[in-house]
Amino acid sequence: MTFTISRRTFLAAAALAPVTTRLAMAAGAPLRIGYSMCLTGLFAQAAPSQVNAYELWKDQVNAAGGLDIGDGQRRPVEFVSYDDQSNPANAVRIYEKLITQDKVDLLAAPWSTPIHLAIAPVLARHKFPMVGNTAASVKLREVKPGYIWFPTAVIPDKVGEELAAFMARENVKTAAVFANVLPLAQEIKTYLLPALEKNGIKLVANEDFPPDIKDMTTLISGANQSSPDAFIVLSYPSDTFLFATQAKQLNVKAPFVLSLIGPTIQAYQQAFGTGANNMVTVGHWSPNQSKWPRAKPFFDAYLAKYKEAPDALDSVLSFMSMEILAQAVATAGLDKEKLRETIASATFDTINGPVKFDGVQNTATPTSFLQIQDGSLELVWPESIKTRDFRPKTGW
Amino acid sequence: MTGKPFMIAAFAIVAGLMALVPQLGSEYWLGVAFIVAMWIALIQSWSLLSATTGYISLGHAVFYGIGAYVLVVSLDWMPVPYALALSGAAAGLLALVVGLPVLRVKGPYFVILTFGFAELVKNLVMLLETRLGQFSRMIFDAPSLEALYYAMLVLAVIATAIAAWTAQSRFGRGLAAIRENEVAAEAIGVPVTRLKLFAFVASAIIPGIVGGLLVLRTSYFAADQAFDPAVSFTIVTTAIVGGLGRVSGPLLGTLFLVILSELLWARFPQAYMMILGGLLIVFILFVPQGLAGLIRKGLGRA
Amino acid sequence: MFQQLLFAAVVSGALYALVALGLNLVYGSLRLLNIAHGDLVMIGAYVAFWSFTLLGISPVVSLATTTVLCAAFGFLVYVVLLKRQLGSPALAQRLEANSLIIFYGLSVILQNGASLAFSATSRGYQFLDGVHSFGGVSATGSMLLLLGVAAAVTLGALAFLRFHVAGWSLLAVIERKDAAAVVGVNVERVQMISICAGFAIAGVAGVLVSMTQQITPFMGFPFTIAAFVVVIMGGLGNIAAGIAAGFVLGFIETFGVALTSATYRSILIYGIFVGVLLLRPQGLFGKAVQAR
Repeated sequence: MTFTISRRTFLAAAALAPVTTRLAMAAGAPLRIGYSMCLTGLFAQAAPSQVNAYELWKDQVNAAGGLDIGDGQRRPVEFVSYDDQSNPANAVRIYEKLITQDKVDLLAAPWSTPIHLAIAPVLARHKFPMVGNTAASVKLREVKPGYIWFPTAVIPDKVGEELAAFMARENVKTAAVFANVLPLAQEIKTYLLPALEKNGIKLVANEDFPPDIKDMTTLISGANQSSPDAFIVLSYPSDTFLFATQAKQLNVKAPFVLSLIGPTIQAYQQAFGTGANNMVTVGHWSPNQSKWPRAKPFFDAYLAKYKEAPDALDSVLSFMSMEILAQAVATAGLDKEKLRETIASATFDTINGPVKFDGVQNTATPTSFLQIQDGSLELVWPESIKTRDFRPKTGW
Repeated sequence: MTGKPFMIAAFAIVAGLMALVPQLGSEYWLGVAFIVAMWIALIQSWSLLSATTGYISLGHAVFYGIGAYVLVVSLDWMPVPYALALSGAAAGLLALVVGLPVLRVKGPYFVILTFGFAELVKNLVMLLETRLGQFSRMIFDAPSLEALYYAMLVLAVIATAIAAWTAQSRFGRGLAAIRENEVAAEAIGVPVTRLKLFAFVASAIIPGIVGGLLVLRTSYFAADQAFDPAVSFTIVTTAIVGGLGRVSGPLLGTLFLVILSELLWARFPQAYMMILGGLLIVFILFVPQGLAGLIRKGLGRA
Repeated sequence: MFQQLLFAAVVSGALYALVALGLNLVYGSLRLLNIAHGDLVMIGAYVAFWSFTLLGISPVVSLATTTVLCAAFGFLVYVVLLKRQLGSPALAQRLEANSLIIFYGLSVILQNGASLAFSATSRGYQFLDGVHSFGGVSATGSMLLLLGVAAAVTLGALAFLRFHVAGWSLLAVIERKDAAAVVGVNVERVQMISICAGFAIAGVAGVLVSMTQQITPFMGFPFTIAAFVVVIMGGLGNIAAGIAAGFVLGFIETFGVALTSATYRSILIYGIFVGVLLLRPQGLFGKAVQAR
């Protein structure tokens, strides 16, 4: 109760504050931030979680009187965005347009690994720094460090090792691994299998499946015969849904069940209710981590604005990337080189805790795992940032 | 007034203007010109088979995808120009190998067959990549955009020249006879099978090289994207809007759609796609000759 | 395990048969390849989702609303886009040749319209997800409902074609449109009803799959592909064979995966698709109708 009151008072104070700053700072012309997004085409369903986070960030910045661009100045922000139709070639062209034609002041990231990788050379050529977000691949490390950074902690080799360690800690002795043939799932699998062996976890099933799989009876029933302790399903959203339906139908009894991408989408919990309970997934953020004071307010603000919870991966990474950019600009101003130096060297305080880059990678955020516990996403691994203990899955 | 010398001059002027785009010094406009040249090259090649013979291919993404794949793989072994040549050769070879059985299938069956075939090859490449432990590939030190652009422009010019030559050659008349009535053409001694196969292979080579150039531009290859069926659909769409069976059709269609997208995509991406869908329906139903036909009609009246 | 696989094959088969039936009806009587077919599945899924989420209406009721809505949409498409064209033989021929492209246009409009109206965020709701076990087989309620509805619709369609006068008219139009007109069949009417029924069946399938799948504006395309594979296997326009082919595909997919590996699933399906087109374009069971 006391918490509610104090929070309300705080919010009221926060709501009043901008009015005064805005009055003081009416002069600045809007700061333009450009990005490309896959609003149509192959990846279109992923766009809202990212765009919503950007828009929420913009609203908050503008409500606070604008973006602090150093030396005490604040300027309101606006976005310049284009649809890349999920096509990397279009995205390349769009970033060239944003930089050379629209002459935007700053850049925000597009969706997906391929598009991040495709625009990295453009950024380097124009010496224009951009904080990435929704890219995850070991290939990211091959990008020449300089003008792009990746805050994600979902790097497949780390995910593989940490997952095996986590499973071993939860006394998993046997595991079934199913992997979609798309890149992220396959990369994780490549690193997961040796790590499982190293941790003494026996593989009872190991199968790949195509993205348009429609029935998993064979996979699940086959694995069920040796009752593994863990089902590790390296899946994408549509097969994540398929697996949940069929795991319930075929009564998967394993206490440790992981789906790769999908459980953090709100629709997943809406579709499976208690069936989703105790599902493990990959992700490094929970609104309930009290060490990150901005995590919960972000969750609440997102929920209030969009009537749905933020995606714990995409929305959070997108918002983080904007926080990093904002803090870097507050220190370095708008000069591209100073900005680059600041992003490359400073430590940032985000809704996901501290972020610090070494080369292109964020080395501060640990690779972690989430579990859906009674409708909320909890960090269950590693020890250093976990919000709850892992709970064995007891039913669907 | 639309005589042959006039047309040749017009095409030469367009090509010359496009060759000057790098002089503008704007990377953005160079990027736009690159896309324009890419679609012209793809659609002219596609037309060589589909517009002339009426065998509508809805699977040209397969040649484009194979080209992209062969390029990323072969780049480890050879310099870019050879790798590009290999891309084109691989696409042509694929067409040659599957051509005879595929081209026996007619009408709507051919259309869905080409689509299904492209999806089959996509899944095979995905499986192969998984087996090789390669889930995506990156390219470093790709040639500059300017170099890629000139290569693409050359492809567009070659494809257009082939289309123009075909239109008035015996080869082209043979293909037209196939479109009108294949059985009759065969009866009067047109070497139907050979002509179709030749057109199919010819229409595959340039898209293979285009796929290679595009992957150099984006520096990343993943099979599910390289074989994106949207490419096949866009080729057919743009060709129809531009007008089938005229050399200027692919140019007009490409320019029209690129301009339309530049005007609309900034603010209304979904609406742009919806307008595109609507245009497609309107053109098929009411403007079967496409923009090229409309313009010709307009000029004829003037 | 064998019973469970058998059940999986029947459930997949029933869904394939149902989705393909609508496509086949439209092709059979109008000679149009509706590549937007899967997008009607998507519309059915959204109708069920919104009715359930906003109004608390059971998806069972949505089966009826979707039938009406999709049939009405079919009627609209028929009247606005197709009727005049189908009336003249020359225009009809051009329409048939380009039907895939027209419906692609429609598909783009539906997908992006849905994305604009509902946002591309994936949706889901919980309904009939309880598990029932009998005779070594477990099934969710939604699967049983799917089986029931698919059985009712496909058997109904077969009975209609076999025993009802209007069904004979439909068969006649599918077989020989011009001849049907000569013997007094109202071809226009049959075509209109076919497109309405074809769209409605797709919508019904959408309601059924919405209970287990994520619902997005782009969920339809895989259904279009599945329907095409089935219809090609059965022979274009051959209604009864199409239904049988749906089940054949369900069995091939389930047991093919069981005998080899899930990795080969899509290669198997597209392989069969391409193989049938190359070797037996008339379909596995006999005759496809003539493309006019």
